[in-house]
Amino acid sequence: MSGRGRGLTALGLLLAGLALASLWQPQDPFAIDLASRHAPISPSHPMGTDHLGRDLLSRMMLGAGNTAMVIVIVASLSFGLGTLVGVTAGLARGPIGSALIRTAEFVIAVPTLILALTITTLFGLSPVTAGLALGLATWGPYALLAHALTLRTLGQPHVLAARSLGVGRAGVAARHVVPETTDTLLTYLASDAGRTVVSYASLAFLGLGAETSQPDWGAMLFEYRGYVFDAPMLLIWPGLAITLTALTLNLALEPRPGHPGSRHRPKLKET
Amino acid sequence: MRDGETRPGPVGWLIRSATLLAVVSVAAFAVLHAVPGDPVIIALSVQNLPVTPETVAALRAEWGLDRPLAAQYLHWLTGFLSGDWGVSFRTTRPILEEFGRRLPVSMALGFGGLALAVIVAVPLGFAAAARPGGLADRLARAVTVLTQAVPAFWLGLVAIWLFAVELGILQAFTGPLAERLVLPILIVALYSLGSLTRVYRAELLAAVETPMYRTARAKGLSRPEAIWRHCHRRGLFGLVAALTPEFGWVIGGTAVTEVVFGLPGISQFLVESVGARDYFVLQAYIVVIAVWMLAVFTVADLAGRLLDPRVSR
Repeated sequence: MSGRGRGLTALGLLLAGLALASLWQPQDPFAIDLASRHAPISPSHPMGTDHLGRDLLSRMMLGAGNTAMVIVIVASLSFGLGTLVGVTAGLARGPIGSALIRTAEFVIAVPTLILALTITTLFGLSPVTAGLALGLATWGPYALLAHALTLRTLGQPHVLAARSLGVGRAGVAARHVVPETTDTLLTYLASDAGRTVVSYASLAFLGLGAETSQPDWGAMLFEYRGYVFDAPMLLIWPGLAITLTALTLNLALEPRPGHPGSRHRPKLKET
Repeated sequence: MRDGETRPGPVGWLIRSATLLAVVSVAAFAVLHAVPGDPVIIALSVQNLPVTPETVAALRAEWGLDRPLAAQYLHWLTGFLSGDWGVSFRTTRPILEEFGRRLPVSMALGFGGLALAVIVAVPLGFAAAARPGGLADRLARAVTVLTQAVPAFWLGLVAIWLFAVELGILQAFTGPLAERLVLPILIVALYSLGSLTRVYRAELLAAVETPMYRTARAKGLSRPEAIWRHCHRRGLFGLVAALTPEFGWVIGGTAVTEVVFGLPGISQFLVESVGARDYFVLQAYIVVIAVWMLAVFTVADLAGRLLDPRVSR
C-alpha cells in the first residue's frame, strides 16, 4: 500500500475507534458515587474511579469523541483552505499570488497556540471552536506546499500541451493541478493529525473558556492535576490516551525526507 | 525567505514591519470588541463596582467607547504607546508593571531551555552524523518521536510527580525561583532538542557529500575528525537558522509549562487573567509577542547578512 493509503487508513480506523468509544460506555460517565472515590483498578472499574467516584474508563471513552471531532475539523479546514489558497496563488501568480503566499507565511510565523488560545478565549472552548481555531492557525504550510506543487504541475509538458490545446485555467486546475496536489497534501494530513491531538489537549488543559461539564482528555488532566500527589493514576490514563493516539498517527505515516514541503513542516511548540 | 528572491532593503523592512504592527495592533484593539458581552459591564462587575447607567456611562467615556471606532482605536493606540496598558482588575496593578516583573521569568525559562538544548544538540548531532544509525542517532530520533507525541504539560506533571513526590529531590511549587525553574527548563530544552539535533545532523551529512570532505578523508583524516574540522561550520550555520524560529516561539510557546509549574511568567499571567475576564492583559500580550517576534526575525536577518556575505549580495 502506498504511504498515503497507509496513513489515511490508520487515520480512518483510529477516528472510527474514537467515535465508537464515545457512543457507548460500560457505565454512566457522570454517575457520582462518593462511596467508591479513588477506587483502585478492578473488573467493574478497569481504570479505577476519580475523586467523585466516577468510572474513569467511561469518562475516557466519552472524551475520545472530542478528540476525533477536532481531528476531523482541523484536517478539513487546513487541507481545504490550504489547497484553495495555494492553488489560487499558483494559478494567479503576480501580485495576488504573492499576497496570498505572504499571508500564508504570516500565519506560519504566528505561534499556533497563541492564535488558537486567543480565538478560543473569545468564542469559548468546545471541540468545534478549538477545531476551527487550530485549523485557522495551521493552514499555512498546506498553502505553501500546494503552491509549490501547482507551479511544478503547471510546468509539466502534458499541462503545457493541454493549455496550448485551449483548455482554460479552470479546466487545468480541476483536471491536473488539484488532483496532483491533493495526493501529496493528503500524506501530510495524516501525519499532521498527531500534532492536532497534542495541541488540542494543550488547549483543553489551559481550559480558557471551556465548559467543564463534558469529559475531555486534556480537560481531565487539568481537573485532576491537584491529585498528582495522592492519586497519580488519574493523570496517567488521560496522558497515555493522548500520547498513544498521537504516536499511532505519527508512526503510521512519517514524512518522507527531501519532500518539497519538508522545509515548511508545521511547527508546534507545546512546551 | 524563498530561493530566488532578494531580501528587502531597509525601506522594505520598514514597510513590512509597519504593516505587521498595524495589523497586530488592530487585532489587539478588536479583542475588546470581540469579547462576548459588554466589556464595560464585565469590568465593573469583576471589580465589584455597582453597575448603574451612570457608572457604565462614566467608564465608557473614560475608555473613549462613546466615540467613533477609528477615534477609539487612535485613543487606545496612543495610550498604549505612551505606556498606559490599562490596569489589571485582578492584581489592581498596571499591566505594564506586571509584564515588566514577569517577562524576566519567561525569558529565563525560554533562553535557559534553548541554551541547554543547543549545548546538548551539538555533541548529539555530531555523534549522530559520525555514525548514522548508531546509538546517538537512534537516541536523537527517539527524543523527536517522544516529544512529538507526549504533551509537554503531561511530561511536566509526570516530572513533578517523579522528582518532587517520589524522589523528593526538587521542590515544585515552593522554594526559590531558581530551583523551581530547573524542571521547566529541562522540559523546554527537551522539546527543542529533537528539531535542533536533526537540523545540525542533516547539515553535517550534507557537507559530507562535498568534495571538500572527500579531500579531507583522502588526506588521511578519520570520519569524525574530517566532519569536525570541515563540516562543523556549516552545521553551525544551519543551527543558527533553525534557532531563529525557536527564539521567536519561545516566549509565548512556553505557556503550558508555565501553567503546569505555576511559574510567574507572562503566559501564566495571561491564562489567569483571561480566566478572570481581564481582557486588557490579552491585548498587551498579543502586542508584546508580535514585537518580540519581529525583533527576533530582524536580528536574525541582520546576523545572516553579517555572517554570510553571499546573502547581502
